[in-house]
Amino acid sequence: MSINLAFGITMQLKYLLALILMLSFFKVSAGTVEDQIKIRQSAYSLMGWNTTKIKSQIIDHPETYNKDQVIAATEVIFAIANSGLLDLYGAGTHQGTGWKSTRLKLDYFQKQEEVKEIDARLVKASIELKASANLGDLAVIKEQFGKLGAACKSCHDLIRIRD
Amino acid sequence: MEKNKGCNVNLCKVWDWPLRMFHWLLVISVSACYITGLLGGLLTDWHGLLGAMVMGLLLFRIIWGLIGSSTARFINFIPTFSSIRAYLSGHWQGVGHNPLGSLAVIAILVTLLSLAVTGLFANDDIAFEGPLFHSIEKGLSDKLSGWHIWLVTPLLVIIALHVSALLFYLIVKKTNLIVPMLTGNKRLPVNDITPSIDSVNKLRCLASIVVAMAFVVAIWNDGFTGYLVLLAKM
Repeated sequence: MSINLAFGITMQLKYLLALILMLSFFKVSAGTVEDQIKIRQSAYSLMGWNTTKIKSQIIDHPETYNKDQVIAATEVIFAIANSGLLDLYGAGTHQGTGWKSTRLKLDYFQKQEEVKEIDARLVKASIELKASANLGDLAVIKEQFGKLGAACKSCHDLIRIRD
Repeated sequence: MEKNKGCNVNLCKVWDWPLRMFHWLLVISVSACYITGLLGGLLTDWHGLLGAMVMGLLLFRIIWGLIGSSTARFINFIPTFSSIRAYLSGHWQGVGHNPLGSLAVIAILVTLLSLAVTGLFANDDIAFEGPLFHSIEKGLSDKLSGWHIWLVTPLLVIIALHVSALLFYLIVKKTNLIVPMLTGNKRLPVNDITPSIDSVNKLRCLASIVVAMAFVVAIWNDGFTGYLVLLAKM
């Protein structure tokens, strides 16, 4: 992750730290239903933005591969995946509006075993993706990226309402 | 039409080779699309590529349905109430798609085309974006992505009906409809004087393939975007 010398930290790192702090806060106090939905929507949007960046540099346009940028993206994903996202799924959060209406199925609360298994897979995939980004081997990063995407999809298939 | 003296039946050419190629390539590409869509991960990109193949095949079929051989042309097999009634009462005669089979063909083509078009604008909120995703708002893309997934169930139902009908013909009516789709030839009773279809017009076939491929390449390279966006917003 590049460092802004004037301020000692880049904007991206600032936002990441702010998000982690917010998530840490919510681990202690998850906040209102709307707040929980809002924070998790923010977290997944940030994660999605970074997966898109990785895919672009690793799969779609490997000629644009920038090791530092990919490492930074995997660190964001790692931080979000390991921040205790499940704490943002309090009772009643299958209904309500954050930045937009939540698409969480009521099934979430009835399929806790599967949810936790997928969450563990997401955490593991994020750790391995970050490690592979540091190695810099595109083939390995691609493989780990696929595992991360599969974990995300499992969750979407299980607990997300389709539009 | 060839007279097959040994079997005392006539071998009649009912399906031309472009139609048969289309059929089996569609079977392969749709099956692969289904599996890659189900598994996700790195296979999602393959899902997109196979979707392009399905789109190309469908476009070819639409063109071939207008300028292809007689049994391929829509005008010759679009079912009417009277043809369906005649078929159900056992009075329908002809080669090619029977009226109920025609309904299945049209239903499959329309459903697949809807899947292909919604897929162009779809995203999976992970890392996949259809070639026209950036042409519309994210909210609309999410909606079309939902429809894309929803359409899979009716497609599976229609395909199951199609395969069940083939098995019904094979087991109950002792008529094999699968072999003709492989060889193009169908065995008809000796007194049936249905003529074989004309040989394939190679120029028309080549033109159909080129136009379909050009359309797909244009879509994947930001061509025709405005037109398709207009359709999506209707």
